[in-house]
Order: sequence, then structure tokens, then C-alpha cells
Amino acid sequence: MNVMETDIAVIGAGPAGLSAAIQAARSGAKVLLLDENKAPGGQLFKQIHKFFGSKEHHAGVRGFNIGQELLKEVQRLGVTVMLDTVVYGIYEGLALGVVHQDNHYSIKAKRVILATGGQENYMAFPGSALPGVMGAGAAQTMINVHRVLPGNKILMIGSGNVGLIVSYQLMQAGAEVAALVEAMPQIGGYGVHAAKIRRAGVPIHTSHTILRALGEKEVEGAVIARLDQNMRPVAGSERELSVDTICLAVGLNPMTELAWMTGCQFEAVPALGGPIPLHDHNMQTTINGVYVAGDIAGVEEASSAMEEGNLAGIAAAESLGCLRSDEANAQKDIYLNRLMALRTGPFGEKRRLAKEHLLEAMKHASADRVSS
Amino acid sequence: MSSVDAVVIGGGVIGCAVAYNLAKAGVSVAIVERDDICAGTSAACDTAIHLQSKSPGLHLRMAQESIKLFPELQKDFDEDIHFKKTGTMIAIQTREQNEVMRVFAERQRNNGLDVVILDRAAAVEKQPMMKGDLVGATYCTADATIHPQFLTKGYFQAAKKYGAKAMLHTNVENIALKDGHVASVITNRGNIQCKYVVNACGAYAPFIGKLTGLDIPIAPRRGQIVVTEPMPKFTHTIVNCARYIAAKFRPDLLGTSEADRMGIGLSLTQTERGNLLIGGTREFVGYDTRTTQKALLYILQHAANILPALKDIHIIRTFAGLRPFTPDGLPILGNVPGIEGFVMAAGHEGDGLALSAITGRLITEIICEKQSAYDFDLTKLSLERYKNLDIKAFEAQYAVYK
Ligand SMILES: Cc1cc2nc3c(=O)[nH]c(=O)nc-3n(C[C@H](O)[C@H](O)[C@H](O)COP(=O)(O)OP(=O)(O)OC[C@H]3O[C@@H](n4cnc5c(N)ncnc54)[C@H](O)[C@@H]3O)c2cc1C
Ligand SMILES: Cc1cc2nc3c(=O)[nH]c(=O)nc-3n(C[C@H](O)[C@H](O)[C@H](O)COP(=O)(O)OP(=O)(O)OC[C@H]3O[C@@H](n4cnc5c(N)ncnc54)[C@H](O)[C@@H]3O)c2cc1C
Repeated sequence: MNVMETDIAVIGAGPAGLSAAIQAARSGAKVLLLDENKAPGGQLFKQIHKFFGSKEHHAGVRGFNIGQELLKEVQRLGVTVMLDTVVYGIYEGLALGVVHQDNHYSIKAKRVILATGGQENYMAFPGSALPGVMGAGAAQTMINVHRVLPGNKILMIGSGNVGLIVSYQLMQAGAEVAALVEAMPQIGGYGVHAAKIRRAGVPIHTSHTILRALGEKEVEGAVIARLDQNMRPVAGSERELSVDTICLAVGLNPMTELAWMTGCQFEAVPALGGPIPLHDHNMQTTINGVYVAGDIAGVEEASSAMEEGNLAGIAAAESLGCLRSDEANAQKDIYLNRLMALRTGPFGEKRRLAKEHLLEAMKHASADRVSS
Repeated sequence: MSSVDAVVIGGGVIGCAVAYNLAKAGVSVAIVERDDICAGTSAACDTAIHLQSKSPGLHLRMAQESIKLFPELQKDFDEDIHFKKTGTMIAIQTREQNEVMRVFAERQRNNGLDVVILDRAAAVEKQPMMKGDLVGATYCTADATIHPQFLTKGYFQAAKKYGAKAMLHTNVENIALKDGHVASVITNRGNIQCKYVVNACGAYAPFIGKLTGLDIPIAPRRGQIVVTEPMPKFTHTIVNCARYIAAKFRPDLLGTSEADRMGIGLSLTQTERGNLLIGGTREFVGYDTRTTQKALLYILQHAANILPALKDIHIIRTFAGLRPFTPDGLPILGNVPGIEGFVMAAGHEGDGLALSAITGRLITEIICEKQSAYDFDLTKLSLERYKNLDIKAFEAQYAVYK
């Protein structure tokens, strides 16, 4: 087994991990950035659509271009990037168990930043294990990264931004989208994304759900039905759709296995996607030296993931003495303010409250903060 | 305050087996468990009902009687406990081990266990995956596998069917005595009046003992296990290695390398879904249920050494459990001196699943003061057998409070 050492190990090279690595490296710390994929960027590299928000948040720039900008900066700063690298465990003394291109490593880090992102929620219904039922994110990876069409006629479950954007991109890639179904009475995602779908003539059935997938060996169709106010299917409203692919866009949950292994404390926060590691303004968990950033700290979006990555990178470097606390605080203020700005409006408000709840819980936890 | 005849503390496989037998015998019983059913060692173990690993004598006889009971239990349970006679092969890697196993097998044969020793060619023919570094193997058809969680749940649900009550997420904080007799169990959620209390807390049994001033020589002995992705049929038997037997009974035969000190020895079973469970370690590290990277490496190196095809299989998970170890490897069962109504049912080390069925029977016979259907020498299982043991030295040696 090979043994390596570093000041700061960042796990996950999505927007959060890339930003954290940049900040930490800028302060002079020795940084190692690890990702299981063959290309860095996390979710960004399959996002061919233009982003929203302000200039600081790269509005109007396409997701994969943001990824490339961040990556260039990471390389310019001399961060060691290890791709095709799975971190399978965190052991006593912040020693990472790592498999890199079939070789086994133990990487000892003074600080660890977990930026492992989220994973798609699953939904069970009769036939949901048939080939042809897949996550919307998986479908997006197939079309935008591997350039393979997952099917010809698609039913999308869920009308959040993921469901809307992936539906549109499937159409751009040449598939036909038969319909979107949404259990709630209103569309989940942004109006502009929904408008593109509606302009293309694709129906979005709100207050509807899928009852079952049809087919013996693979998906050959689906039965959908209307839901009453109590979310129960209305008898007689069943409708059969002829589709060969069913995509599930029913939310993400934080990928927290490594965080659990460190023994840090969690709090279940439905608005942020599930159990979330408690963390403070520095993005530090209840374990000294272990930080979180991005979707693992609560499922939000790439823009907030970058700001949290910035914070974690600065705070980790500060704790190693690479930054004076006045310098660090001045910088952190910038990113905290930007995060505040992101967490406004009807979508942001809910997340802001959930995040404040976490910070509050952290205050009570920090009394018995353990060191690893 | 509620009232029952017997309170069983601990909802692991042992506590549930005891409660099941008591309830079936008509005793009013409540299980008190601080977490959930099957949340302790019984949810962090392997799947073997092992006869071949038992020392000939009382231990083996108890296991032999126990294994007979599972088909009957299955009929009484709603839960499918996945009981399957699979047999075991124990890989022998050196001449020295061969000698130990030859003697061990002969003594087992004299005790009615059908064990044969195969040379390398015969072993590989029987178990084609075992192409690695070995000189031969034992083969015994009597061993079986079972699903630990479903078994525990099976006991639990059947116990409830016969009227047992359950208080989950309820911590036992004290035990009140009256005139040298158990009077009630005090929990964080109220008191329960009772005549009997059964200490079925596995590795945590010493803490329950302390409540009444009893010294119970049980120490947590950690075992780490690696889980693989589901595979097509990989093995039709349980596979162990002779080091596993040595780590248990003849630690003097082990070397002094780091892997030896961790008690690395192969145990491999395949679940119904196809996942392989690959173990394991035997470590005294206190109540620490974390896994370590070193153990993972040593376990896999050793396993792949015997079964080379493992090299190409993905690992999906690791976990560790705490075996309730006793100095002589036998559980502590039955009444204790000085406290009427306090009954021990703990300390099954690596055999809790295998011995659960017989343990439930024996404890029920004791509480109901029935003539035993078995002729076991219960003094060899009693807490009193340790009356001359230096408990401080025991705790220090086995890191009990670390
Ligand atoms: C279809 C879709 C559209 C979206 N559109 C927008 C948008 O318009 N605007 C916006 O702001 N956000 C958008 N988002 C959300 C945004 O993509 C995510 O919030 C963001 O990518 C989260 O960043 P992250 O760095 O936390 O995680 P990720 O980008 O998911 O990166 C995590 C990385 O860590 C790696 N990793 C995980 N575990 C390990 C391990 N054990 N070892 C090694 N590597 C590991 C993963 O493979 C991955 O590469 C969209 C998301 C989706 C799915
Ligand atoms: C790695 C490993 C592999 C193993 N493989 C096998 C095998 O193949 N075959 C086999 O037969 N055995 C095996 N074993 C052994 C077996 O798992 C144990 O012997 C058995 O699970 C012990 O059961 P138990 O009910 O005594 O303990 P537990 O399952 O630990 O139950 C004790 C319960 O008591 C509760 N408790 C503790 N204190 C209190 C309190 N104050 N108040 C209320 N409740 C309390 C705990 O929460 C716990 O649920 C293995 C063990 C390990 C670690």
C-alpha cells in the first residue's frame, strides 16, 4: 500500500470541491483534489444549459464552461488532482482509504473537505425495477457526456428543475418526451424552464403520478393517474402512455457515507434532502478538521456549492495557519454575503431557514465537539 | 408501574430467543431494549451455525442440540430465517496446521461430528474457488447458515405472538432488590415489577451486572467483516481457514505479526442475495465498533490468498461487531449466587446465533424450574465458575473499559 501525506484533502471535484481547492491552494496550503470520475467537474460537466443568477455566479455561462474555468484555476495554482480515484473510507487520524487506478493508497491529511455531492432519489412502483427506468441525472449523463440516447419515448416523473432541464435536453438530443407528471398541484421548477417544455407541446400533468410501468422484460409503457387532495389516485383517471423509458427526477439526497464514517453528528432536514452533517459558518462539522461543502451539506445548487466550497477552503487553510484570521474573515464575509443573496426568493427562503436551523443545532453540538 | 414475571434485558438474538421460549411456556415476559430489536452484535455478525469450530465436549454438544431446533423454529415463525445446511470447509495452509486439524477432527468425529480431511486435489475438486495457497481442507456436512437479522426478528415476532411485551428505546438504569431477590427493573421510561430479570446484553452484560454488584467477566472482542457486491454462486459451503480455528483456541500457534495480533482468520459465507461476507478479526479494543483500513487489507489479502477469484470482486461495505468474549469460550447461563431471580444469558462470543435456540430452552427450564431435557453440566456454564477469577486483571487484559 502506498502512503501519501497532504495538508488538505478535498474529496469530490464538483463545483464545491474545485472552489475549495482553489481557495486553499491560494493561501499556500498543499492541496490534493480527489474524484472518482475520469474528468473533474462533478455535475457541472453534463450541464450544457446557461446558468442563472448574478455575474459572480456566472449567470449566462453554461455549466460545463464554469467547470472548465474552475479547473484551469486549479491547475494554475498547482493543486494535485487525482482522478479515477475512489475514496472508500476515512479512518482514525484522518487517514483516507483510496483506490487510484487500481492501486491502493492511504492518504493522511491534516484537514479533509468532503464535497461528495448528492445522489438521485429512487421511487418504487410496480415495474420500477424494469430496464428502462432510470434517474434523470443518469439520462443526462448518457446524452451529454456519453452521447447515447437512453430511449426514444420518455416519461419524466417530477417537474423540478432537474426534470424540466433534462426533458428539454432529451428533446434536443432527439428523443420524444411523451409527458411530465408532477404529484404537486403546481410545477416545481423555474417558469422559464417549464415554458420551453410547454412551447414544444409537451404536456406537464400536475396532480398526477405514475401507478406502474408496463412491460415484461423492459419498459413498454406506463400507467399514470390523477391525484386527489389527499394524494390518492382518483379511480377512473388512469391513462396508459406508450413509452420505452421512464426517468425519475424526484430529488437528490446528500452523499454522506464518508461523513458518517468520521462519526460526525447529523440532523435530518427534509428541505435539504435528508440527514445533513451539522456544520458551522466555517463549514466545519462536529469533528475537528472535517469540513463539508456543496450538496453534501444540503442539496441546493451549483452556485451555492461554489460559495460553500470557497468558505471551507478558506477556513481549512486558516486553521492550518496559512491565512491570518483577519484576512480569512474579510474573505469569508464576501462569500457569506453572496450565499445570503442566493438564499432569497421563494426557492431560496426555505433553504435559508433550513440552513439557519442547522447552524443553531450546531451551536448546541459544538459544546461536545470531538476531535478525531 | 407495570408488572410481569420476567424482564429480559437486551433485544439481540439471545434476548429474543429467551423471551420467545418464556412466552411460549406461558411466562409473562417483557423485553427491554435501549435501542431497537437486533441493533447490537446480532446485527453485525456472520451467518454461520457452526459445529466444526466448536471444541469437542459441552460446547459442541450444545451446538449439536441447538442446530436440531431451527427447522422446528422455522415452522413457528412467520419470518423466513434462511436456515440452510451448507457444510463447511476449513482451508489448511501449512503442515503444522494440518497436524492440529487432524487431531481436532478426530476428537470431533469421536463426538459424532462427520468431519473428513481432504488433500489439496480433493479440496479443490469440492470447492473450485479454493485454488490458492493451501495443502488441504477439512469438510463437514453438518454446518449451516442462517440470516441473523431475520432469525432475531423471527424470535421477536413469535415471542409477541405468545404474548411477550416489548419496550424498545428504553434503557435499563437500575435493578431494585428486596430481601436478596429481584423486585423491579428501573428504566428511563418507568419501572417494571418482576420476579426474574434475564441479563441478555451480550458484550454489555457487565454493565448490567454492575447494577447489582456482580462482576461478570465478559469482554468485547471486535470482529470486522467485508461485504462484496452480489455474485452468482461463488461457494456452496462456508469457508474458513485453520488460522480461524487457531485464533480461537490456539493463539499460541499464531505468529506475532500485526495481522496475527489482530487475529486475522478467514470466514466466508454467501447470502441468499449473493453478497459474500468475508471476515474477520478477533481484537480486544474496548467498545470500539469502527473498522480499520489495516484490517480490511489483511482480511482481503488472506482471503484472496486462499480464494484467488476474490481479487476481481467489488467491495461495497465493511462493518464491525463486538463478540461477547468469556475466558473459557463458553457462555454464562443461569442463576447467580446471592441474587435470587437474576439470570445470566450472555457471553456467547462468536456462537450467539448457533447457540440461541438451545439458550432459550435452557433459560426457560431454569426459570420454570423444570427438569432439563438435556444432561448438560450447568455448573460449567454458571457465573460461579469464575469465582476465583481476578476481575480487575481480566478487565485490564481485555481492555474492557477502554
Ligand atoms: C439536471 C441538473 C441541472 C442543474 N442545474 C443547475 C443550475 O442551473 N444552476 C445551479 O446552480 N445548479 C444546478 N444544478 C445543481 C448542481 O449541479 C449541484 O447542486 C452541484 O453540482 C453540487 O455541487 P457539488 O460540488 O456539491 O457536487 P457534485 O457536482 O455532485 O460533485 C461531487 C463529485 O464528487 C465525486 N465523489 C463523490 N463521492 C466520492 C468518493 N467517495 N470518492 C471520490 N469522488 C467522489 C462525484 O463523483 C462528483 O464528481 C443542477 C443539477 C442537475 C442534476
Ligand atoms: C464479526 C462477527 C461475526 C460473527 N459470526 C457469527 C456466526 O457466524 N455465527 C454465530 O453463531 N455467531 C456469530 N457471531 C456472534 C454473535 O453475533 C453474537 O454471539 C450474538 O449476536 C450475541 O447476541 P446477544 O443477544 O447476546 O448480544 P447483542 O446482539 O449485542 O444484544 C444485546 C442487546 O442489549 C442491549 N442493551 C445493552 N445494554 C442495555 C441496557 N442498559 N438497557 C437495555 N438494553 C441494553 C443492546 O442494545 C443490544 O441490542 C459473530 C460476531 C461477530 C462480531
